Amino acid sequence: MTKPKEIDWERLEAIIDKNRGETWALIPLLQDIQETFGYIPEESIEPIAEALSLFPSQVQGVISFYAGLSLKPKGKYVIRVCRGTACHVKGGRSILRLMKKQLGLNEGETSPDYQFTFETVACLGTCFLAPAMMVNSTYFGKLSPPKVTTVLTQYGKDKGEDKKA
Amino acid sequence: MEAISLTINGKHISCPPGTSILNAAVENGIKIPTLCHHPHLKPAGACRLCLVEDEKSGRIMASCVTPVSTNMVIHTDSPEIKRHRTNIIRLMIASHPESCILCNQGNRCELRQIAAELGVGQIGLYPMPHYTGLEEANPFIIRDLSKCILCGKCIRADHELVVVGAIDYNLRGFKSLPATAHEMPLEESSCTFCGTCVSLCPTGALMVKNTRYVGSPQNESVTLCGFCGVGCSLVMGSVDGQIVEVNPSHHDEAVNRSTLCVRGHFAHDFLNVSERLTSPLIRRDGELSPATWDEALESVAEQLISTKRKYGPQSLAFLGSSKCTLEENYLFQKMARAILATNNVDNGGYGSGKAVVNLITEKLNGGGRITPLASLEKAELVFVIGANPLQSAPVVGYSLKRASRMEGIPLIVADPRKTGLVAFSSLWLPLVPHSDCELINALAAILYTRKSYDTDFVNRFTEGFDLYRDGLSSLDLERVSRVTGIEIEMIERAADLFEGKKIAFVIGHGILQQRYAILAISALLNLALITGSLGGEGTGLYILARENNQMGAWDMGAVPDFLPGRQPLYNDTRRKHWEQIWEVKLSPDPGLNMIRMIEETEKGNLKALYIMGENPVRSLPQPERISKALKNLEFLVVQDILENETTHLADVVLPGTAFSEKGGSFTNLEGRIQSFEPVVSPPGEAKPDWEILDLLAVRMGYPRRHYSFRKIRAEISHLVPMYTGLEQEGEESWIRESSNLKLFRPDGEGEPIHFSPVIITEDETHDEAYPFTAILGSLRYHLGSGTRTTHSARIEGFALKGDLEISPEDGARLNLNEGDRVRISSPCGSISREVTLKNDLRPGLIFIPMAFHNNDAMELIELTQLGKADSPGWKECHVTLDKM
Repeated sequence: MTKPKEIDWERLEAIIDKNRGETWALIPLLQDIQETFGYIPEESIEPIAEALSLFPSQVQGVISFYAGLSLKPKGKYVIRVCRGTACHVKGGRSILRLMKKQLGLNEGETSPDYQFTFETVACLGTCFLAPAMMVNSTYFGKLSPPKVTTVLTQYGKDKGEDKKA
Repeated sequence: MEAISLTINGKHISCPPGTSILNAAVENGIKIPTLCHHPHLKPAGACRLCLVEDEKSGRIMASCVTPVSTNMVIHTDSPEIKRHRTNIIRLMIASHPESCILCNQGNRCELRQIAAELGVGQIGLYPMPHYTGLEEANPFIIRDLSKCILCGKCIRADHELVVVGAIDYNLRGFKSLPATAHEMPLEESSCTFCGTCVSLCPTGALMVKNTRYVGSPQNESVTLCGFCGVGCSLVMGSVDGQIVEVNPSHHDEAVNRSTLCVRGHFAHDFLNVSERLTSPLIRRDGELSPATWDEALESVAEQLISTKRKYGPQSLAFLGSSKCTLEENYLFQKMARAILATNNVDNGGYGSGKAVVNLITEKLNGGGRITPLASLEKAELVFVIGANPLQSAPVVGYSLKRASRMEGIPLIVADPRKTGLVAFSSLWLPLVPHSDCELINALAAILYTRKSYDTDFVNRFTEGFDLYRDGLSSLDLERVSRVTGIEIEMIERAADLFEGKKIAFVIGHGILQQRYAILAISALLNLALITGSLGGEGTGLYILARENNQMGAWDMGAVPDFLPGRQPLYNDTRRKHWEQIWEVKLSPDPGLNMIRMIEETEKGNLKALYIMGENPVRSLPQPERISKALKNLEFLVVQDILENETTHLADVVLPGTAFSEKGGSFTNLEGRIQSFEPVVSPPGEAKPDWEILDLLAVRMGYPRRHYSFRKIRAEISHLVPMYTGLEQEGEESWIRESSNLKLFRPDGEGEPIHFSPVIITEDETHDEAYPFTAILGSLRYHLGSGTRTTHSARIEGFALKGDLEISPEDGARLNLNEGDRVRISSPCGSISREVTLKNDLRPGLIFIPMAFHNNDAMELIELTQLGKADSPGWKECHVTLDKM
């Protein structure tokens, strides 16, 4: 996904309709929208609430609670750097610093071209790979500064400069 | 199931399985501190203060969410538990701002109270308050979420009690706070400003925006709400003899279950305004000027007596109030009948479906009066017709929403507008205004054709089914569909929902005030009979009375055609009975109703009028005509609490008192009779209304005084069989039904109920010059004509303009945009309004909220009674719109 375009309402409605009337289905439905659009458009809160006989505030509460759901559009590649104990001991902090510098992003930010979103995670659960990070669903372990640069280049980022797709 | 026995703090306790440890302890007098628990909310286990220890397992658990189990040995106050509790409180205080000195919650703050109980003063932790900024743009509620301890009471009250869902937890961890959807300020959210969250908040995170800062009230007393027919139980806080705060009372049996609506919570501001009448006034040289009580009472007594002597008793009339107490209404009609020998008595409730209530009283012979709101939440199906309780009687709305959301009870809403309740309904029938009776007959006809009606009930309790059946079989469904604007399939779907169920009917002013009210109610009673929906729990007719004592004023005989206890004047035995008690001769002919009073005044037949607690110049149609008529009187006395349009015309003004300044009783729409004591003293020289009437009666020759409202109450209780509980049962009792109908009698003897014939309404003829149908209705911020509610600075500060609501289709056709001004004209008069486009209206239909701009919407309606059978059609009128 590049820049978020106009919301494809037809597609959104179709997803919502699949679970109309099923209050229990809130989380799977939100996951479906997150997967399809890369985020959950704020404008979809009311229609979701209506379809599931919930209150909009409840739907928003669930979205904002889970890290896996987002109201803001995310980049094509979501990078999650581990801040767990093992990664910390193995120099995770400098990996984090380097990432920030190379991406030009702070934690939680998305690049203006919607290529990258940069996040940190309490623990990725892959301590044997420390220091580790994930790009979307791919793990990268035993990181070192050169390896970070290689990985980023692989996803189209060249030393902190924007590379036009 | 077998009871569970356990030990708490060494005490042996036995309780039913499923009871929480907290409740088991509380029921046995053992106190456990909590911040997030409330008996009317589901337990959440959020604050963790109710921790207790099980000696056997050594487990520490939150007692509010842990059920008891056999042989538990619980300690609620062990050193270990105290240590944990103290630490929780220390952490809460560490993240709490140090603004206690300015906080309105003051010593009522539950966090502070529990900290004090646990001996926590200096917490010894580095303070880390979590400042969020103050939200106070709206006139009702201040939100300072830095004081939020995340107990979730506000959220649960919002979801479980008032079922609005304006707020929920947002975000997680340290950032977590209650928030509206899209984190908008309250006034831009779905919040209805009922204030329930404020009254449950244990800290000062949610506070009422007071008109002036007074700190904590000096006194708090339980009383009743003075607005709609629900009769909510309130706690009023006062400072220096003025009401400064209103909260719902939390007692279990209260009709409102810890909730209120925006009116009840905030609109009682009228009690303290400078327009309150504080001394009697007499018109001298054309000007109203202050007088002593002696002068005023003497003048009234003398004028009424001399008018009676000169023109006869028929030249006098008495207009009482559906807002005054039972005691006052009883005394008022007694004064008219027993002293001045006239049946010209009515009350302001006349325009809210008097004819309908007469019909129901007659048909059910006084049965079916008990309709507890709690039973609505146990119904099998609720049919809401011509009612918008979310606006008119919000607490009834809460019950209905809970019934739907929590209990899964199907709701059917029949209303021309897509009301707020439609979102909670299984089916919405958007019918054409006043085609209700056609729709109801069609439903009955379908159920009859399908043979899915309650034959047993019909055989046992009714008569005249054959004739009714013939009427139903000859009903032309195609025609019904055309007249109501609802497709046959939709009516069939409603009938599907009806099948095999007993039904609770909720009836509002859409029926009570419509042209075909009588036909609609006859049809509805028939439908109730064939579905067996009368006499059982969760069945019957729930009538949304507009005023707090509307039912009571009728019961007390403040009507032209009934004696106290709804005993008809024409019934010789009953009349003789009262003649003996009052030692007078009573005329069997009904007196003038409210509308006839005005008409007779215009003709010059009525010479003197006594108005108690009504403002007809504002509340009745054609205000100028009313005003002109009242000027035609030789003598007008107005007894009221506020200077208003009607007091300006009076010859004598008597300052009465509001409910909070006197004692008395009200009967609510459920048939519940509630008594109350004064909270504060009357302002200035004002006197309780019963006292004024009592003093006046003696001056007009009545031999003895009552001296106290309790004596009047005793008289009512003694003489009116419906009200025997009033004295015997104290603060709260219920109407005693004494129907001669088999259905309502436990001994199984008695009379059947008769079906009414199926009557078809005439087809509407539409005047081309007035193409729109305007529905006049209420918004929850005001009650009735708004005499009292518009005196609330907070309600007025909310900047509602009473916009005209119109469908987007009509808006486009007339080239009207949001905010444009239009002139609305009917054959009777015209007003102007700004326009707002609303999707919940079908083309051709517009909605005008009442009470705004001095209730000028009444200019559009003609006073003369429309339609047949005594039914004022004030609900809608035909209008034309012109862009200005």
